Amino acid sequence: MSIAAKRIIILLVIIVVGVVLGRLAVRGFMNILLGGTMFGGNFL
Amino acid sequence: MSKVNKEKKVRAVPVGIGILVFVAAFIGGVVSKFAITPSWAKEYSVDWSDDLGTLKTDISYGDGEANKFDLYLPKDNSKDSYGLVVYLHAGGFTSGDKADDKKMLSWLCQKGYVACGINYTLRTDTNNASVLTQSNEIKAAVPVVIEEAKKLGYNVREMTMSGGSAGGCLAMLYAYRDAAEAPVPIKLLFEMVGPSSFYAEDWGIYGLDRDTDDSRKAAAGLFGVMGGVELTPEMIKDGSYQELMKPISAFRFVNENTCPSLLLYGTHDKVQPWNGVRHLVKALEDNGVDYKLFEATHSGHGVQNDNAVMKAYMETVDEYLDKYMPV
Repeated sequence: MSIAAKRIIILLVIIVVGVVLGRLAVRGFMNILLGGTMFGGNFL
Repeated sequence: MSKVNKEKKVRAVPVGIGILVFVAAFIGGVVSKFAITPSWAKEYSVDWSDDLGTLKTDISYGDGEANKFDLYLPKDNSKDSYGLVVYLHAGGFTSGDKADDKKMLSWLCQKGYVACGINYTLRTDTNNASVLTQSNEIKAAVPVVIEEAKKLGYNVREMTMSGGSAGGCLAMLYAYRDAAEAPVPIKLLFEMVGPSSFYAEDWGIYGLDRDTDDSRKAAAGLFGVMGGVELTPEMIKDGSYQELMKPISAFRFVNENTCPSLLLYGTHDKVQPWNGVRHLVKALEDNGVDYKLFEATHSGHGVQNDNAVMKAYMETVDEYLDKYMPV
């Protein structure tokens, strides 16, 4: 696998992790304000 | 430049790009959480347009600055009579506006109902507004709403009360406490996360359940403000506060004539206690009322983590409106 391909895969993983953490951060913040669980119910 | 420094610089570029991409993706995740609406929810969230009917705003029902309501009148004005749905806004009794529920009210109007959002005097540091005075304002508003609809050519024959949070509490008070004095029969109540009982032992979310001097003082303060009454820590201790809280404790007015009720609550609610819901459920059970309780088991006050439960609630609201107050 070329270095360019590896870098693209790494960037895709970073994007997925970033989006997931962003959504979890909002869920966590809302849970602090309103109550709720971090997991279960809605996907993310 | 040495060879080592050159290599460091070459590595720093992709790392920097990686950090930037992460930050952008994180922000995208945050935005997506607010921006993406489930497809099913769009059905119950309608943008108002003149094709739906006529919207009359800020009609006065009293002397207070906040004593105003909006009336959503359906396009078809040829019927002999109409069902009215009142939806009361949320906001912790201290904020919010009837316009906050415009999309919900537009959906109800689209279904063929006369829909109405009513403002009530919000509690501030400088007024004595309480849940009691707010509920009395709603009680005063409903006959005016029905009269105004009649003047505009929409004869109201029956009604549904509804709302969210503070609005849910006020909707319950009108539907349960004031039903006998309503100008038209109340056929249905649907509400989410509205408090219906005020027992200190249920309000652990604010530490009122600790049975200490401080907790009793806090309970006397909070419940006193909500009920518009003077409470003392001693009254909390001996239980005599309950009689003074009765006028705003909706569950205590449930009887065999109480309208069918749809209730939605988050079991992790940090604003109004899930523990208190059991009194309402017991009262509805004991009196044989047709009710459904929707439990959002991953959510708090916003029912924010349980779209499936929210969907089931809204579908049942739709079904019960068709069943108990057909257009």
